Amino acid sequence: MTDLFLVYKNLTRKKMRLFLTCFAIFIAFLIFGAVSALKGALDSGVEMSADNRLVVINKINFTQPLPFSYVNKVKALDGVKNVTHANWFGGYYQEPSKQLMTMAVEGATYFKVYDELTIEPENYTNWMKNQTGLLIGERIAEQYGWKVGDKIPISSNIFSHKDGGHTWQFTIQGIFKPLDQKTDTSYVILHYKYFKETQTFGGTSVGWLILTTQSPSLNEQVAKAIDANFVNSAAETKTSTEKAFNKAFIEQIGNIGLIIYGVVFMAFFTILIVVGNTMVLAVRERTKEIAVFKTLGFSSMRIFKMILTESFLLSFIGGLLGMVGAYLVVGGVSKGLAGILPNLLIGPNTWAQAIGYMLLLGFVTGIIPAINALRLNIVSAFSRA
Amino acid sequence: MNSFLSQSFAVIRMNLLSLPRRLWMSLAMIIASAVVVTILLAFLAMARGFEVTLKGAGSDDIAMFLRDGSAAELNSVLSKSQVDLIENAPGIAKDKTGVILSSELYVIVDGIKKTSQTAANIPLRGTSQTGIKMRQDFKLIKGRLFNTGTTEMIVGAGILRQFDGFELGKTIRFGKNKWQVVGVFSTGGNVFESELWSDYRVIQNLYNRGSSVQSIRAKLVEAGDIKQIKEYIKNDPRLNIDVETEADYFSAQGKSLNYMAIFGKVISSIMALGALAGALNTMYTSVADRSREIATLRTIGFSNSSAFVGTLFESLTLSALGGLLGALGAFLLFDGMSTSTLGGSFTQVVFSFELSQDLIVQGMKMALGIGLVSGFFPAWRAARMPVLTAFRTE
Repeated sequence: MTDLFLVYKNLTRKKMRLFLTCFAIFIAFLIFGAVSALKGALDSGVEMSADNRLVVINKINFTQPLPFSYVNKVKALDGVKNVTHANWFGGYYQEPSKQLMTMAVEGATYFKVYDELTIEPENYTNWMKNQTGLLIGERIAEQYGWKVGDKIPISSNIFSHKDGGHTWQFTIQGIFKPLDQKTDTSYVILHYKYFKETQTFGGTSVGWLILTTQSPSLNEQVAKAIDANFVNSAAETKTSTEKAFNKAFIEQIGNIGLIIYGVVFMAFFTILIVVGNTMVLAVRERTKEIAVFKTLGFSSMRIFKMILTESFLLSFIGGLLGMVGAYLVVGGVSKGLAGILPNLLIGPNTWAQAIGYMLLLGFVTGIIPAINALRLNIVSAFSRA
Repeated sequence: MNSFLSQSFAVIRMNLLSLPRRLWMSLAMIIASAVVVTILLAFLAMARGFEVTLKGAGSDDIAMFLRDGSAAELNSVLSKSQVDLIENAPGIAKDKTGVILSSELYVIVDGIKKTSQTAANIPLRGTSQTGIKMRQDFKLIKGRLFNTGTTEMIVGAGILRQFDGFELGKTIRFGKNKWQVVGVFSTGGNVFESELWSDYRVIQNLYNRGSSVQSIRAKLVEAGDIKQIKEYIKNDPRLNIDVETEADYFSAQGKSLNYMAIFGKVISSIMALGALAGALNTMYTSVADRSREIATLRTIGFSNSSAFVGTLFESLTLSALGGLLGALGAFLLFDGMSTSTLGGSFTQVVFSFELSQDLIVQGMKMALGIGLVSGFFPAWRAARMPVLTAFRTE
């Protein structure tokens, strides 16, 4: 009890310094938490991909179309469980700058392939019956405050409606929800058939195919079979796992992401070093006092523990406050950014890492002065002054 | 006044000379402000480099036509009859062969990025001899131009820096079609260097585009003047087309990485608060360390304002050193660094970080801001320190 009181007294002897040191640690961890959340959000597409899901794209590039006939050809191959397809609509709501991720899909198979999404059976039936029906993801529903039955216009920056203009009218027939909250639902889907019938280019091409295999162990075999099937045709394919596809997409953003993390983490550690330096000096100032403690009969071990406790306490006060701050900031902006950056949250991994760094900071800054105190010779400490 | 100056100089000199005594704390402050400046400059240089790369591509005397609402070349489609109508628009320059106009296509193909060895989007632009002539900075570095009607292409210098397999003489397969690289070109570092160019008619044919194109570029009679053309488009219901100068188009595209600059400013400002806390610690320690000195000076008649100036100057010196160090660090680490990212047209834009002077000035301002705030309060304490108590502290 008395030891803790002494630690408390030592910590608070210079209130200004305590505040400033805590504040610097607070800032370091605030940034660490927020940037880790950002990184996690960017990587979440990769993490949430299903093991047995493959994506088939045109070999030239995924923006090039595939013939519709490929859907049935792929379905006929061994090891393929379900196949569905999607077209990029280039959607936006009201203003071209308010992009809305919109895809034209085949309703009958879409939810078989994306079985981590759920929807009320009644809503689904209604959607299947309504050509101009639209299903929206839960995140979109939250972001725009849309409800089932709402009529909304969606425009395309690529396609024109054959009645003129680039805007389609849709009725929201349902909201699909994920089984796992981290699954991205910030997009809307409409009927492929309706899309093809109402846009000016016509044609029957699809954007890309998504399929599930009977088992993840068949992935490679199925992917090879698909690509071999279309080799030397007008539209050659490239089949990859959903994970690899998402990863390649993130890589497109490039090492810019890497630079951000590099720079920010460098800063994080620099702040810790600077703060650590202050903490080491703060204990060194007290050399004489420690000699007094020893003279009074405090054991070296007891002083060693007291100094370490002090540095851990300081590191954890600042660090935990910083992480709570990051939690509040991330929580505050995640709703506004749901459209661009879904899954902005501080995961358990980040918390664990943060606690690891707090322990490290507390240990590194405490251990040198603590060992010095342990070894301190009373006589030489007094004579030094 | 004179004595204030000479006193201040004396105190400043003493403060600076006593710095080695507080070596670690002083270094901590220098490093903290250096890191803040490096971070700020890294992000600003990134956004600036991207913006310059796109802005540099746009010319004021070229009008650019896209389907209305499409916002980027990739999304746009224009029919042959629309192209014919635009050819008759007023305000477009002519030479011996007719109007100076280039119909272009913009399709995306895969390239393997050197850094990640994964496929990334590169634009394959269909253009023509006229189109090439319209790019004023165009220069063939190696090889020759593509021949009309063949699957030959020329490759931008930026593509060669960031992607594998596009070297001169190589044969490239996009799906079923084989292409020959017959030349390498530069456009003075702007975004066109991140592209592959070939004959637009060949691309129309191979990519089933019929006779449609995606964008039209036309040389203006008078630079920047698109009023007549706008009027012409408005009066013809067949023309659902947006027109703007190429300069405006690219400067809008160049803004798409501005969020990086904003992100950098936000994160470095937050970090500056952390650095400020560290710097205040340093300066308070410095004042405490010199308390006897200050008291002595006051006793022999130095003014308290000279103590104030001395401390403030010390802090500004440390933070300015940090700022310079940070700018140097950013310069060595990032300036000229070539990278690529997804641009507004959904394709890779190869660009270099650009640490220009005005950005360095911004960085120095931030460092001096840290120095000013972290010096002010401790300097205040130094100036008001009661002489007696200062002597009493050992």
